[in-house]
Amino acid sequence: MKIKLAVWAIALTAGFGVTTAQAEEFAVGSVISLTGANARGGSGMHEGIMTAVEVFNRQQSKHKIKLVTIDDESAPAKAIAGVEQLASQNVVAITGGATSDLVGPASTAANKLGLVYITSGGTSEELISQGYKKFFRINNTSGYVHAMTGMFSDMGIKSLSIIYSTKKSTNELAVDVDKIMTAKGVKVTLHPFDPAITDFKPILNKVRLQDRPDAINMLGYENDYVGILRAAKVLKPNVKALVGVWQIANAKMAGDFPDLVPNVSGTEILPYPVAFSTAEGKLFETTFKALYHKSPDYLGEYGFVQSMALFEAIARAADKGSLKKGGLADEMRKTDRDTLIGRLQFNDKGDNPNFIQHIGQHQGGKIVIVWPKEFATGKMNFPGVPW
Amino acid sequence: MSELILQSLYSGLLAGGSYALIALGLALVFGTMKIINLAHGELVLLAAYIAYMAESMLKINPLLAIPLALIVVCLASVIVYFLVSKIVKDRELNSLLLTYGVGIVLTNAILLIWKSDIHSTSNEWFQQSLVLGSLYSMNSEVTFFVVSLVLIVLVWLWLSKSWYGRAVRAVASNRDAAKLMGINPRWTELISFVLSGVLATFAGVALYSYGVIQPELGSALTVKAFIITVLAGAGSIPGVLLGAVLLGVVEALTTTMFSSALQELTGMLLFLLVLFVLPNGLFGANRRRG
Repeated sequence: MKIKLAVWAIALTAGFGVTTAQAEEFAVGSVISLTGANARGGSGMHEGIMTAVEVFNRQQSKHKIKLVTIDDESAPAKAIAGVEQLASQNVVAITGGATSDLVGPASTAANKLGLVYITSGGTSEELISQGYKKFFRINNTSGYVHAMTGMFSDMGIKSLSIIYSTKKSTNELAVDVDKIMTAKGVKVTLHPFDPAITDFKPILNKVRLQDRPDAINMLGYENDYVGILRAAKVLKPNVKALVGVWQIANAKMAGDFPDLVPNVSGTEILPYPVAFSTAEGKLFETTFKALYHKSPDYLGEYGFVQSMALFEAIARAADKGSLKKGGLADEMRKTDRDTLIGRLQFNDKGDNPNFIQHIGQHQGGKIVIVWPKEFATGKMNFPGVPW
Repeated sequence: MSELILQSLYSGLLAGGSYALIALGLALVFGTMKIINLAHGELVLLAAYIAYMAESMLKINPLLAIPLALIVVCLASVIVYFLVSKIVKDRELNSLLLTYGVGIVLTNAILLIWKSDIHSTSNEWFQQSLVLGSLYSMNSEVTFFVVSLVLIVLVWLWLSKSWYGRAVRAVASNRDAAKLMGINPRWTELISFVLSGVLATFAGVALYSYGVIQPELGSALTVKAFIITVLAGAGSIPGVLLGAVLLGVVEALTTTMFSSALQELTGMLLFLLVLFVLPNGLFGANRRRG
């Protein structure tokens, strides 16, 4: 009888043991712009991060990620406060950051608190020159600059007008594009604008009457592009191409502003309609659609890629028992995998040396990748303008 | 160069008309009640989003959204007034805090309902260019410049000629004396707020028709409207147009002659300069309160 009871007790305990050996849970913080001026970029990234949480947790049962999100309201001070609050809640790492202006202060706070910070919203070169050992990013300014200047070179343009927002990232892009194109013998004129302006006709008029360039390079965000393209449609400068950077060559712009974007180009990794060919891509797409009832865009892709890299590193560090001993940053540096944006690795500054953008052009309601040639899905319309 | 300057002056004039439309409602409430409605920009934005909703769901011209936008925005204005009217002490300061809070609520309500995406009209006629010699503009800009002028004239006539307009000015001048003369100050103030809502509605529909809207735009609109109201001088409706045009022209000329990066700075410098030289604004005058 006693032996029977003992056997039952052991069996019950073992049963309990199996059911209580659940996934080890890790809290990961996300400081992201869900409101404010950067809400568009932040929300898009957030959707990708949430998709990564869903995919990661479903793919394996050993580790579970619990995301704790704080809205930084597009304000640097609130981004810092958000990081500090998350640190007090014992998160193991931070993901997020919609623009370099927010990533800078947030990553500094994370660095002081000893937390790994990963982003796709901080492309400014200043961010990797700070020497933070726990800062990581999956994209950078040089990837965007390389794509735009490469395309301009292939176009054979002789003159270029750069209309750029005075925000940190776009300012840096302008300086870099100017330097490279000037070195190639192209006449470059710069037109900085305050992010608050809405009427671009005075600038476009200067471009039309004084610069008379072969191409216009627009470095800003969605609302800036609409303002610039609207003004350009009114004034009709005699140019052969209009090239933006992020947030322009995507389905949303094609759908919302079909009259403004024909033949306009911008940086974009994937064409539209998008067709993911890898298993991870297809899983990302179906999960994203199940969560948000829409097709993913590049913001979601970036949020997904940065978060999956982080979660996998957390899992590896947890398995090795080094997570709580500061081993996460070392595991991040060991990242070497193919992702939706290409091969992902991190160098000693936390940068992804393999990042290179493509150029997509709006053609007939679709986004056609037109540069570089090896990734092109169609021919570039050049010369080509929306009017 | 002359072509550049002329285009700048023209663009500045049209921009000034748009600014005047946005500022008029704030100026009216400030002039009559000495209350700065910091939620005014959000009311303008609300009207813009109603226009967007009407165009995207019903596929109609944004102008046809005005009746619906009037109802919603005027109702919101009435709610703001009733909240402000509950303030017992230090109305001028406390109303600033209250309306600032209302502005935050409205901004987040807009974000909740319409998300963070940017929007602008897809109406082709509004976006078509209008060329007058060597001067370029959009049809929407000229249309709403004319609307702005008409509304300014109507408001000015109403304030100076109609009984209710005179009542509003009487209450602004001396609330107690006006009450003794048989004027109901609360009713008069309510009318001011409703009229402010009407003006915000037209401003919002205009904004959607020629510009780009997004949830966080409200506070920037309020600041612009406030600058113009102060430039104009308290209670001066014609001053609103002049102040707005002055601001628009200075901004456009700054972009043309120097750099667009200095546009906002120049606007602020103009504001400070006018206040330094004319502390009561361009058309303001000292008022004696009984």
